[in-house]
Amino acid sequence: MSSPLVCLPGQRLCLSDPSHVSGQGTYERGGYIYATLAGVVDIVPKDNVQIIEVRSSGQETLVPSQGDIVTAQIHTITQQFCKCYIKCVGDKVLGRQYRGILRKEDVRATEKDRVEIYKSFRPGDVILARVLPITEAHTYQLSTAENELGVVTAHSEHGGLMVPVSWTEMQCSKTFVKEARKVARVVPESVQNDVK
Amino acid sequence: MSEQYKILHPVKYFRDHLAHKIRPDGREFGEYRPIVVNLGSISTADGSAIAKVGRTTVVCGIKAELCQPKAEAANEGFLIPNVELPPLCSSKFRPGPPTEQAQVATQLVADILKNSDCLDLKTLCIFPDKLAWCLYADLICLDLDGALIDACVVALMAALKSVTLPAVQYDPALDNKQVNVQERKALSVTNTPIATTFAMFDDKILIDPTVDEEDLSTSLVTIVVKEEELCFVHKPGGCVFTEEQLLKCVEESTKRATVIEEIIETAFKSL
Amino acid sequence: MPVDHKRINGPEISIPYQLFDKLNTKSLKTQFSEIVQPNGTRADGRTSTEHRKIFLKTGVVSQAKGSAYIELDQTKVIVSVFDPREIPNKTDYSSKGEIYCEFKFAPFSCHKRRLHQQDAEEQQFSAIMKQALESAVFRHEFPNFQVDIYAMVLHNDGAALSAAITAAGVALAHAGIPMYDLITSVTLAVQGNHLLVDPTLEEERLCQVPLFKEEENNHGIVVLSVLATHEQISQFYQSGYLSYACLSSGIEMLTNAAKDIVTLVKKCLVKHVIKSVRIVED
Repeated sequence: MSSPLVCLPGQRLCLSDPSHVSGQGTYERGGYIYATLAGVVDIVPKDNVQIIEVRSSGQETLVPSQGDIVTAQIHTITQQFCKCYIKCVGDKVLGRQYRGILRKEDVRATEKDRVEIYKSFRPGDVILARVLPITEAHTYQLSTAENELGVVTAHSEHGGLMVPVSWTEMQCSKTFVKEARKVARVVPESVQNDVK
Repeated sequence: MSEQYKILHPVKYFRDHLAHKIRPDGREFGEYRPIVVNLGSISTADGSAIAKVGRTTVVCGIKAELCQPKAEAANEGFLIPNVELPPLCSSKFRPGPPTEQAQVATQLVADILKNSDCLDLKTLCIFPDKLAWCLYADLICLDLDGALIDACVVALMAALKSVTLPAVQYDPALDNKQVNVQERKALSVTNTPIATTFAMFDDKILIDPTVDEEDLSTSLVTIVVKEEELCFVHKPGGCVFTEEQLLKCVEESTKRATVIEEIIETAFKSL
Repeated sequence: MPVDHKRINGPEISIPYQLFDKLNTKSLKTQFSEIVQPNGTRADGRTSTEHRKIFLKTGVVSQAKGSAYIELDQTKVIVSVFDPREIPNKTDYSSKGEIYCEFKFAPFSCHKRRLHQQDAEEQQFSAIMKQALESAVFRHEFPNFQVDIYAMVLHNDGAALSAAITAAGVALAHAGIPMYDLITSVTLAVQGNHLLVDPTLEEERLCQVPLFKEEENNHGIVVLSVLATHEQISQFYQSGYLSYACLSSGIEMLTNAAKDIVTLVKKCLVKHVIKSVRIVED
């Protein structure tokens, strides 16, 4: 690997023309592309176009935004919704956890009216969810209405780790008691990368 | 991957480390973090010190002012410590009045000063019932990574040793004060209390915990030792320490105290 | 003053001992001529356009997202920046994020002891800091949230506000918060026809009031923050009286001084980037 191109905020990187496009961590002003972060320049070729990106040197500062897949931990459940804390966006760990809310009608895609929160999630469960359009300040609305979304890891009432046995059930590895959950189909990482 | 694991299952992450007889930052259970002391770097204060215990940083500045002694203690001056945990030092704090943790720390430091008797308040009196020194010792935490009291006590003791007070001529008949700023004298600090914090987690005792370890631990205990004597113990609730464990902690803190005392002494000599 | 129950309070009245020192009876005019020679040479040997030596370091607060420590000779300021958080007491949606600045003098940082609560001067400086930094940050990247910036002056020997703004710019870049540009700030003290870049506390004090009545009575303090690449001024603060000609030459001096500081800021940040790249590679 050639030595990395270090850049700083406000540094002019190159001319902005049809073959050079401003990507993440950069902005365009007066026909030039500038960096917004202190980090390393990355040039990503894509269909005859070179996307100029800047990768932050440390941990990036990011907040969840619409459409992101996030990892969250269930905090409290009620009849209508459950509250959770968002801890990661994609595979990036957040510096601060953000509040999220998952409503009953967003738990699964089919038979929405028969969803019961307590049969889907319990406090402490770690879930994968997608961020819905943001309507109110302060809380993110989440959805698990996809096969790949839902509970990833959970512990039974006895504290044992549970393994999924079907779309709707998980079994405790210690006591073999089955509990109801909205289980996520976890795609192995290698496959996931191919899909992308 | 370990980062995600740490944030999602902090307890399990911690327990897995301890099972391998190592702490998440690579230390052994009985190993404390390096301590750095720097004296007299702030010239606007009459005495100052910066103490680092691992990454925990506390800066102490002492400012002297003149005041009238209390009626009930006419021949004593004042030493007023205050611990400040500004929002700067950790994401846990918000701007506003001192948090509960800061108030507890302030009280603890004041109690340690009183119990150890390291500074005779009578030496701060200039003229009984009329004029005395009031030393404001402000301790500001700049980076909070556990063992706050340990760092505060080190910073405070080092700062006290570096304090110099100007000579004062007082004429009680005319209530006339004359200060000679050039002629300064050091305080006589008689002993150096040193605090050591321990955290208990699953029957394991960890010396000098980081902030993550403190948050996960089931109990904390702070032991203050001066000249191989026990002078203060603080154990705010939590699970039980056996007598044996507690005695072991006292022994460890006595050992650590001699090391720290030497560090302060060297810093003082290089002043 | 109301009693503060959350701290230990000292005696009701206590007076700084410096007040009872043998009085400095020299007039301010002589004091000024003692520290500034007619040709502009100052007490510490600097020329009037010379900035003090700067020490700059990133990553000093482990618990913060980004942090910086700056020393302008004696002046010492520490700044830390945190991850965006929810804006308290706000319910409506805002497409732009906010910046929250808090500027604080440590109680022992000045000649007179400072109180723990923010006083009017500190609040004003916080507002100036916010104004300076707002235009440098991509605020639409974190809608509905605020980024907290805290500055603590440990030792004030003049130009503390400038030091805090420069350090905050470095801390923001260190935190990985998207910015349009690097920001640097410089202070100027004016007295008569003397323009002093980066004044010490003593110089600042002697520039508060007009001393040379017979000449033009220019006097005051100017704080200017500059965005380096785009050559824009993001903040300008001035107190005292300045003639137009004096002001324009002052601004030129400040922008030149800011350029010198930018090189230092860049060096410091590049060092940080290279260090973290090495860690990733290892």
